[in-house]
Amino acid sequence: MRALPGKENRQPPGPEPVSRDAAAADQRRRILEATADLIAEQGYQETTMEEIVRRAKVGYATFYKHYPDKEAAFLALLDAATDRTVSRVEDAFQREEGPWTDRVGAALGVLFEDVAAHPAAARAALVEAVAAGPEAAAKHEAALKRLAPLLRPGRELNPRQAALPESLEETLAGGIVWVLGQRLIAGEADKLRGLLPETLEFVLRPYVGEDEAAREAGEVADAISA
Amino acid sequence: MPAEELGPLPAGRHGYSREQVAHHQRERLIAGLAEAVAEKGYSAVTLTDIVKGAKVSRRVFYANFESKEQCFLAAFEVVLTHLHELVAKAVEGISDWPGQAIAATRAVLAFLASEPDLARLCLVESRGAGPAVAARFNEAVGEMAPLLREGRAQRPEGERLPDSTEDSTIGSLVSLIFRKVAAGEAKQLEQLLPDCAELVLLPYLGPAEAARLARQAA
Repeated sequence: MRALPGKENRQPPGPEPVSRDAAAADQRRRILEATADLIAEQGYQETTMEEIVRRAKVGYATFYKHYPDKEAAFLALLDAATDRTVSRVEDAFQREEGPWTDRVGAALGVLFEDVAAHPAAARAALVEAVAAGPEAAAKHEAALKRLAPLLRPGRELNPRQAALPESLEETLAGGIVWVLGQRLIAGEADKLRGLLPETLEFVLRPYVGEDEAAREAGEVADAISA
Repeated sequence: MPAEELGPLPAGRHGYSREQVAHHQRERLIAGLAEAVAEKGYSAVTLTDIVKGAKVSRRVFYANFESKEQCFLAAFEVVLTHLHELVAKAVEGISDWPGQAIAATRAVLAFLASEPDLARLCLVESRGAGPAVAARFNEAVGEMAPLLREGRAQRPEGERLPDSTEDSTIGSLVSLIFRKVAAGEAKQLEQLLPDCAELVLLPYLGPAEAARLARQAA
Protein backbone atom coordinates (compact mmCIF):
# COMPACT_ATOMS: atom_id res chain seq x y z
CA MET A 1 0.00 0.00 0.00
CA ARG A 2 1.29 3.44 -0.85
CA ALA A 3 1.83 5.81 1.98
CA LEU A 4 -0.23 8.92 2.02
CA PRO A 5 1.58 11.66 0.16
CA GLY A 6 3.94 13.65 2.27
CA LYS A 7 3.83 11.40 5.32
CA GLU A 8 7.19 9.73 4.73
CA ASN A 9 8.97 13.01 4.32
CA ARG A 10 7.53 14.64 7.37
CA GLN A 11 10.13 15.47 10.00
CA PRO A 12 9.54 13.83 13.33
CA PRO A 13 8.50 16.38 15.98
CA GLY A 14 11.53 17.34 18.09
CA PRO A 15 14.35 14.95 18.89
CA GLU A 16 13.92 11.18 18.50
CA PRO A 17 12.20 9.62 21.51
CA VAL A 18 15.02 7.08 21.72
CA SER A 19 17.68 9.73 22.08
CA ARG A 20 15.58 11.58 24.63
CA ASP A 21 15.47 8.42 26.73
CA ALA A 22 19.17 7.97 26.23
CA ALA A 23 19.84 11.52 27.36
CA ALA A 24 17.71 11.03 30.46
CA ALA A 25 19.47 7.76 31.25
CA ASP A 26 22.81 9.49 30.84
CA GLN A 27 21.74 12.25 33.23
CA ARG A 28 20.65 9.70 35.81
CA ARG A 29 23.91 7.81 35.41
CA ARG A 30 25.92 11.02 35.90
CA ILE A 31 23.88 12.00 38.96
CA LEU A 32 24.27 8.58 40.57
CA GLU A 33 27.99 8.42 39.80
CA ALA A 34 28.51 11.86 41.30
CA THR A 35 26.46 10.86 44.35
CA ALA A 36 28.52 7.69 44.83
CA ASP A 37 31.86 9.48 44.42
CA LEU A 38 30.98 12.31 46.79
CA ILE A 39 29.63 9.95 49.44
CA ALA A 40 32.75 7.81 49.18
CA GLU A 41 34.87 10.93 49.66
CA GLN A 42 33.02 12.59 52.53
CA GLY A 43 30.11 10.47 53.76
CA TYR A 44 26.38 10.64 53.14
CA GLN A 45 25.46 13.25 55.75
CA GLU A 46 28.09 15.70 54.57
CA THR A 47 27.18 15.49 50.91
CA THR A 48 24.92 18.26 49.65
CA MET A 49 22.63 18.56 46.63
CA GLU A 50 24.70 21.48 45.43
CA GLU A 51 27.83 19.35 45.29
CA ILE A 52 26.00 16.56 43.48
CA VAL A 53 24.64 18.76 40.67
CA ARG A 54 28.01 20.48 40.29
CA ARG A 55 29.91 17.19 40.09
CA ALA A 56 27.32 15.60 37.77
CA LYS A 57 27.37 18.71 35.54
CA VAL A 58 23.58 18.97 35.49
CA GLY A 59 21.24 21.74 36.56
CA TYR A 60 19.00 21.65 39.61
CA ALA A 61 15.98 21.32 37.31
CA THR A 62 17.46 18.21 35.75
CA PHE A 63 18.19 16.75 39.14
CA TYR A 64 14.62 17.37 40.32
CA LYS A 65 13.22 15.90 37.11
CA HIS A 66 14.72 12.56 38.17
CA TYR A 67 14.84 12.66 41.98
CA PRO A 68 12.92 14.72 44.57
CA ASP A 69 15.92 15.00 46.92
CA LYS A 70 19.35 13.72 47.91
CA GLU A 71 17.93 10.71 49.70
CA ALA A 72 15.99 9.61 46.62
CA ALA A 73 19.16 9.77 44.53
CA PHE A 74 21.02 7.80 47.17
CA LEU A 75 18.29 5.14 47.33
CA ALA A 76 18.31 4.85 43.53
CA LEU A 77 22.08 4.43 43.69
CA LEU A 78 21.69 1.66 46.26
CA ASP A 79 19.10 -0.11 44.13
CA ALA A 80 21.26 0.07 41.05
CA ALA A 81 24.47 -0.96 42.80
CA THR A 82 23.10 -3.81 44.88
CA ASP A 83 20.92 -5.17 42.14
CA ARG A 84 23.74 -5.26 39.62
CA THR A 85 26.17 -6.89 42.01
CA VAL A 86 23.83 -9.34 43.72
CA SER A 87 22.39 -10.47 40.38
CA ARG A 88 25.89 -11.13 39.07
CA VAL A 89 26.75 -13.01 42.25
CA GLU A 90 23.61 -15.14 41.98
CA ASP A 91 24.35 -15.83 38.31
CA ALA A 92 27.88 -16.95 39.10
CA PHE A 93 26.54 -19.30 41.76
CA GLN A 94 23.94 -20.78 39.37
CA ARG A 95 26.34 -21.14 36.44
CA GLU A 96 29.02 -23.01 38.38
CA GLU A 97 28.24 -26.71 38.09
CA GLY A 98 30.77 -28.08 40.57
CA PRO A 99 30.17 -28.93 44.22
CA TRP A 100 28.64 -26.35 46.56
CA THR A 101 32.04 -25.17 47.79
CA ASP A 102 33.05 -24.28 44.22
CA ARG A 103 29.77 -22.49 43.65
CA VAL A 104 30.29 -20.37 46.76
CA GLY A 105 33.85 -19.69 45.61
CA ALA A 106 32.60 -18.51 42.22
CA ALA A 107 29.93 -16.30 43.80
CA LEU A 108 32.34 -14.75 46.27
CA GLY A 109 34.88 -14.21 43.48
CA VAL A 110 32.36 -12.18 41.48
CA LEU A 111 31.36 -10.21 44.58
CA PHE A 112 34.97 -9.22 45.29
CA GLU A 113 35.59 -8.44 41.62
CA ASP A 114 32.50 -6.23 41.39
CA VAL A 115 33.28 -4.35 44.58
CA ALA A 116 36.87 -3.75 43.43
CA ALA A 117 35.63 -2.52 40.05
CA HIS A 118 33.08 -0.09 41.54
CA PRO A 119 34.53 0.96 44.89
CA ALA A 120 32.51 4.17 45.29
CA ALA A 121 29.14 2.55 44.62
CA ALA A 122 30.13 -0.43 46.77
CA ARG A 123 31.07 1.83 49.62
CA ALA A 124 27.70 3.55 49.40
CA ALA A 125 25.90 0.22 49.50
CA LEU A 126 28.07 -1.58 52.06
CA VAL A 127 29.15 1.16 54.43
CA GLU A 128 27.12 4.34 54.10
CA ALA A 129 23.72 2.69 53.63
CA VAL A 130 23.70 1.48 57.22
CA ALA A 131 23.92 5.07 58.41
CA ALA A 132 21.71 6.87 55.90
CA GLY A 133 18.27 6.43 57.38
CA PRO A 134 15.84 3.56 57.83
CA GLU A 135 14.97 3.06 54.16
CA ALA A 136 18.61 2.82 53.09
CA ALA A 137 19.38 0.49 55.99
CA ALA A 138 16.46 -1.72 54.96
CA LYS A 139 17.84 -1.95 51.42
CA HIS A 140 21.26 -2.90 52.78
CA GLU A 141 19.62 -5.57 54.93
CA ALA A 142 17.58 -6.90 51.98
CA ALA A 143 20.74 -7.26 49.88
CA LEU A 144 22.43 -9.21 52.69
CA LYS A 145 19.42 -11.51 52.89
CA ARG A 146 19.76 -12.38 49.19
CA LEU A 147 23.17 -13.92 49.91
CA ALA A 148 21.80 -16.28 52.58
CA PRO A 149 20.14 -18.80 50.19
CA LEU A 150 23.49 -19.32 48.45
CA LEU A 151 25.09 -20.39 51.73
CA ARG A 152 22.23 -22.37 53.25
CA PRO A 153 22.75 -25.58 51.17
CA GLY A 154 26.11 -25.91 52.94
CA ARG A 155 24.24 -27.07 56.03
CA GLU A 156 23.69 -30.44 54.41
CA LEU A 157 27.44 -30.99 54.41
CA ASN A 158 27.68 -30.58 58.16
CA PRO A 159 27.05 -33.75 60.21
CA ARG A 160 25.63 -31.70 63.06
CA GLN A 161 23.58 -29.37 60.89
CA ALA A 162 20.70 -29.25 63.38
CA ALA A 163 23.00 -27.52 65.88
CA LEU A 164 24.04 -24.71 63.51
CA PRO A 165 22.71 -21.31 64.61
CA GLU A 166 19.62 -20.20 62.71
CA SER A 167 21.26 -16.83 62.03
CA LEU A 168 24.46 -18.35 60.59
CA GLU A 169 24.02 -17.34 56.93
CA GLU A 170 23.14 -13.73 57.61
CA THR A 171 25.88 -13.51 60.20
CA LEU A 172 28.46 -14.77 57.71
CA ALA A 173 27.14 -12.37 55.09
CA GLY A 174 27.56 -9.63 57.68
CA GLY A 175 31.17 -10.71 58.20
CA ILE A 176 31.89 -10.61 54.46
CA VAL A 177 30.37 -7.15 54.14
CA TRP A 178 32.39 -5.93 57.13
CA VAL A 179 35.68 -7.15 55.64
CA LEU A 180 34.84 -5.52 52.29
CA GLY A 181 33.73 -2.33 54.01
CA GLN A 182 36.90 -2.03 56.10
CA ARG A 183 39.05 -2.28 52.98
CA LEU A 184 36.90 0.29 51.17
CA ILE A 185 37.13 2.70 54.11
CA ALA A 186 40.91 2.24 54.07
CA GLY A 187 40.92 3.02 50.33
CA GLU A 188 42.34 -0.43 49.54
CA ALA A 189 39.88 -1.78 46.98
CA ASP A 190 42.91 -2.99 44.98
CA LYS A 191 43.84 -5.39 47.80
CA LEU A 192 40.52 -7.19 47.80
CA ARG A 193 41.64 -9.93 45.43
CA GLY A 194 44.18 -11.09 47.98
CA LEU A 195 41.50 -11.34 50.65
CA LEU A 196 39.27 -13.64 48.62
CA PRO A 197 40.81 -16.97 49.71
CA GLU A 198 40.71 -16.13 53.43
CA THR A 199 37.17 -14.85 53.25
CA LEU A 200 36.12 -18.00 51.44
CA GLU A 201 37.77 -20.05 54.17
CA PHE A 202 35.90 -18.07 56.80
CA VAL A 203 32.58 -18.66 55.08
CA LEU A 204 33.07 -22.37 54.39
CA ARG A 205 34.50 -23.30 57.81
CA PRO A 206 31.22 -23.65 59.74
CA TYR A 207 29.80 -25.93 57.05
CA VAL A 208 32.64 -28.19 55.88
CA GLY A 209 35.07 -27.96 58.79
CA GLU A 210 38.43 -26.25 58.98
CA ASP A 211 40.59 -28.65 56.94
CA GLU A 212 38.29 -28.72 53.95
CA ALA A 213 37.75 -24.94 54.16
CA ALA A 214 41.53 -24.34 54.22
CA ARG A 215 41.99 -26.68 51.25
CA GLU A 216 39.33 -24.88 49.17
CA ALA A 217 40.85 -21.53 50.07
CA GLY A 218 44.27 -22.82 49.01
CA GLU A 219 42.89 -23.83 45.61
CA VAL A 220 41.41 -20.39 45.07
CA ALA A 221 44.68 -18.77 46.15
CA ASP A 222 46.59 -20.91 43.65
CA ALA A 223 44.12 -20.02 40.90
CA ILE A 224 44.58 -16.31 41.66
CA SER A 225 48.37 -16.43 41.59
CA ALA A 226 48.43 -18.61 38.46
CA MET B 1 21.96 8.32 83.89
CA PRO B 2 18.97 10.39 82.65
CA ALA B 3 19.37 14.12 83.30
CA GLU B 4 16.14 14.21 85.34
CA GLU B 5 17.63 12.00 88.01
CA LEU B 6 20.35 14.55 88.49
CA GLY B 7 17.81 17.26 89.31
CA PRO B 8 18.39 20.93 88.52
CA LEU B 9 21.77 22.35 89.41
CA PRO B 10 21.44 24.50 92.51
CA ALA B 11 21.57 28.17 91.56
CA GLY B 12 23.68 30.85 93.17
CA ARG B 13 26.12 30.16 95.97
CA HIS B 14 26.12 26.39 96.27
CA GLY B 15 29.64 25.70 97.46
CA TYR B 16 30.63 23.71 94.35
CA SER B 17 33.92 24.55 92.70
CA ARG B 18 33.92 25.87 89.15
CA GLU B 19 35.41 22.56 87.97
CA GLN B 20 32.69 20.56 89.68
CA VAL B 21 29.96 22.61 88.05
CA ALA B 22 31.60 22.34 84.64
CA HIS B 23 31.92 18.58 85.04
CA HIS B 24 28.25 18.27 86.02
CA GLN B 25 27.22 20.38 83.08
CA ARG B 26 29.14 18.21 80.66
CA GLU B 27 27.59 15.06 82.10
CA ARG B 28 24.13 16.58 81.93
CA LEU B 29 24.61 17.54 78.30
CA ILE B 30 25.72 14.01 77.46
CA ALA B 31 22.71 12.57 79.28
CA GLY B 32 20.47 15.13 77.54
CA LEU B 33 21.76 14.07 74.16
CA ALA B 34 21.37 10.36 74.92
CA GLU B 35 17.77 10.93 75.97
CA ALA B 36 16.93 13.01 72.92
CA VAL B 37 18.55 10.46 70.60
CA ALA B 38 16.56 7.65 72.23
CA GLU B 39 13.40 9.66 71.73
CA LYS B 40 13.70 10.81 68.12
CA GLY B 41 16.91 9.48 66.55
CA TYR B 42 20.17 11.38 66.11
CA SER B 43 19.43 13.10 62.82
CA ALA B 44 16.23 14.69 64.18
CA VAL B 45 17.80 15.87 67.44
CA THR B 46 18.33 19.62 67.72
CA LEU B 47 20.55 21.61 70.01
CA THR B 48 17.38 22.87 71.71
CA ASP B 49 16.42 19.28 72.57
CA ILE B 50 19.81 18.65 74.14
CA VAL B 51 20.01 21.80 76.26
CA LYS B 52 16.36 21.46 77.32
CA GLY B 53 16.97 17.90 78.50
CA ALA B 54 20.16 18.94 80.25
CA LYS B 55 18.55 22.04 81.77
CA VAL B 56 21.48 24.24 80.80
CA SER B 57 21.86 27.14 78.37
CA ARG B 58 23.11 27.05 74.80
CA ARG B 59 26.12 29.03 75.93
CA VAL B 60 27.01 26.19 78.30
CA PHE B 61 26.62 23.72 75.44
CA TYR B 62 29.12 25.62 73.31
CA ALA B 63 31.49 25.98 76.23
CA ASN B 64 31.64 22.16 76.32
CA PHE B 65 31.15 21.02 72.74
CA GLU B 66 31.77 22.43 69.30
CA SER B 67 28.82 20.67 67.74
CA LYS B 68 26.10 18.09 68.12
CA GLU B 69 28.49 15.54 66.62
CA GLN B 70 31.14 16.28 69.27
CA CYS B 71 28.52 15.84 71.99
CA PHE B 72 27.50 12.51 70.46
CA LEU B 73 31.12 11.46 70.31
CA ALA B 74 31.45 12.23 74.03
CA ALA B 75 28.35 10.16 74.81
CA PHE B 76 29.72 7.29 72.74
CA GLU B 77 33.03 7.57 74.58
CA VAL B 78 31.29 7.38 77.97
CA VAL B 79 29.57 4.13 76.98
CA LEU B 80 32.80 2.68 75.56
CA THR B 81 34.71 3.44 78.75
CA HIS B 82 31.98 1.80 80.77
CA LEU B 83 32.04 -1.27 78.51
CA HIS B 84 35.81 -1.54 78.86
CA GLU B 85 35.46 -1.49 82.65
CA LEU B 86 32.71 -4.11 82.56
CA VAL B 87 34.76 -6.40 80.34
CA ALA B 88 37.88 -5.97 82.49
CA LYS B 89 35.86 -6.86 85.58
CA ALA B 90 34.18 -9.82 83.87
CA VAL B 91 37.46 -11.49 82.88
CA GLU B 92 39.13 -10.83 86.24
CA GLY B 93 40.26 -14.06 87.84
CA ILE B 94 39.58 -16.14 84.73
CA SER B 95 42.84 -17.60 83.48
CA ASP B 96 41.83 -19.56 80.37
CA TRP B 97 41.30 -17.73 77.09
CA PRO B 98 38.00 -19.41 76.11
CA GLY B 99 36.61 -18.59 79.57
CA GLN B 100 37.65 -14.96 79.18
CA ALA B 101 36.18 -14.71 75.69
CA ILE B 102 32.84 -16.08 76.87
CA ALA B 103 32.79 -13.88 79.99
CA ALA B 104 33.57 -10.76 77.95
CA THR B 105 30.88 -11.59 75.39
CA ARG B 106 28.38 -12.23 78.16
CA ALA B 107 29.21 -8.92 79.88
CA VAL B 108 28.79 -6.89 76.67
CA LEU B 109 25.48 -8.53 75.79
CA ALA B 110 24.16 -8.14 79.34
CA PHE B 111 25.03 -4.45 79.42
CA LEU B 112 23.49 -3.71 76.02
CA ALA B 113 20.36 -5.67 76.97
CA SER B 114 19.99 -3.71 80.20
CA GLU B 115 20.42 -0.37 78.41
CA PRO B 116 18.51 -0.74 75.13
CA ASP B 117 18.60 3.01 74.42
CA LEU B 118 22.38 3.12 74.79
CA ALA B 119 22.68 -0.05 72.71
CA ARG B 120 20.81 1.73 69.95
CA LEU B 121 22.92 4.85 70.34
CA CYS B 122 26.16 2.89 70.06
CA LEU B 123 25.28 0.42 67.34
CA VAL B 124 22.63 2.06 65.19
CA GLU B 125 22.66 5.83 65.67
CA SER B 126 26.46 5.96 65.66
CA ARG B 127 26.48 4.83 62.04
CA GLY B 128 24.68 7.99 60.93
CA ALA B 129 26.25 10.50 63.26
CA GLY B 130 28.94 11.80 60.93
CA PRO B 131 32.39 10.69 59.82
CA ALA B 132 34.17 11.30 63.15
CA VAL B 133 31.76 9.02 64.99
CA ALA B 134 31.83 6.42 62.21
CA ALA B 135 35.63 6.37 62.39
CA ARG B 136 35.57 6.06 66.18
CA PHE B 137 33.05 3.22 65.89
CA ASN B 138 35.36 1.30 63.56
CA GLU B 139 38.31 1.94 65.82
CA ALA B 140 36.46 0.84 68.97
CA VAL B 141 35.21 -2.33 67.34
CA GLY B 142 38.69 -3.01 66.00
CA GLU B 143 40.03 -2.90 69.56
CA MET B 144 38.52 -6.34 70.04
CA ALA B 145 40.99 -7.82 67.55
CA PRO B 146 44.02 -8.20 69.87
CA LEU B 147 41.83 -9.94 72.47
CA LEU B 148 40.61 -12.41 69.86
CA ARG B 149 44.08 -12.83 68.43
CA GLU B 150 45.27 -14.31 71.72
CA GLY B 151 43.04 -17.26 70.89
CA ARG B 152 45.52 -18.27 68.18
CA ALA B 153 47.77 -19.68 70.90
CA GLN B 154 45.09 -22.21 71.86
CA ARG B 155 46.02 -24.77 69.21
CA PRO B 156 48.88 -25.31 66.76
CA GLU B 157 46.30 -24.77 63.97
CA GLY B 158 45.79 -21.26 65.29
CA GLU B 159 49.13 -20.18 63.87
CA ARG B 160 48.05 -20.74 60.29
CA LEU B 161 44.75 -18.89 60.51
CA PRO B 162 44.48 -16.21 57.83
CA ASP B 163 45.29 -12.61 58.77
CA SER B 164 41.73 -11.41 58.35
CA THR B 165 40.25 -13.98 60.76
CA GLU B 166 39.74 -11.45 63.56
CA ASP B 167 38.28 -8.92 61.12
CA SER B 168 35.70 -11.30 59.70
CA THR B 169 34.82 -12.64 63.14
CA ILE B 170 34.31 -9.13 64.50
CA GLY B 171 32.26 -8.17 61.46
CA SER B 172 29.96 -11.14 61.93
CA LEU B 173 29.59 -10.42 65.61
CA VAL B 174 28.76 -6.76 65.02
CA SER B 175 26.32 -7.68 62.28
CA LEU B 176 24.56 -10.24 64.49
CA ILE B 177 24.17 -7.83 67.41
CA PHE B 178 23.40 -4.86 65.18
CA ARG B 179 20.46 -6.61 63.54
CA LYS B 180 18.90 -7.47 66.88
CA VAL B 181 19.25 -3.89 68.13
CA ALA B 182 18.06 -2.32 64.87
CA ALA B 183 14.96 -4.54 65.04
CA GLY B 184 14.18 -3.02 68.46
CA GLU B 185 14.97 -6.27 70.27
CA ALA B 186 17.98 -5.12 72.28
CA LYS B 187 16.38 -6.39 75.50
CA GLN B 188 16.62 -9.94 74.17
CA LEU B 189 20.32 -9.67 73.30
CA GLU B 190 21.34 -12.21 75.92
CA GLN B 191 19.60 -14.88 73.87
CA LEU B 192 22.41 -14.42 71.38
CA LEU B 193 25.09 -15.53 73.83
CA PRO B 194 25.50 -19.10 72.51
CA ASP B 195 25.60 -17.94 68.86
CA CYS B 196 28.04 -15.14 69.65
CA ALA B 197 30.25 -17.39 71.76
CA GLU B 198 30.37 -20.06 69.06
CA LEU B 199 31.25 -17.45 66.45
CA VAL B 200 34.10 -16.07 68.57
CA LEU B 201 35.55 -19.45 69.57
CA LEU B 202 35.17 -21.31 66.27
CA PRO B 203 38.36 -20.25 64.45
CA TYR B 204 40.50 -20.76 67.53
CA LEU B 205 39.13 -23.96 69.06
CA GLY B 206 37.60 -25.70 66.05
CA PRO B 207 33.88 -26.37 65.46
CA ALA B 208 33.28 -29.19 67.93
CA GLU B 209 34.87 -27.56 70.96
CA ALA B 210 33.40 -24.14 70.09
CA ALA B 211 29.91 -25.61 69.91
CA ARG B 212 30.37 -27.50 73.17
CA LEU B 213 31.55 -24.44 75.11
CA ALA B 214 28.85 -22.27 73.53
CA ARG B 215 26.12 -24.68 74.65
CA GLN B 216 27.65 -24.81 78.08
CA ALA B 217 27.71 -21.00 78.29
CA ALA B 218 23.97 -20.88 77.67
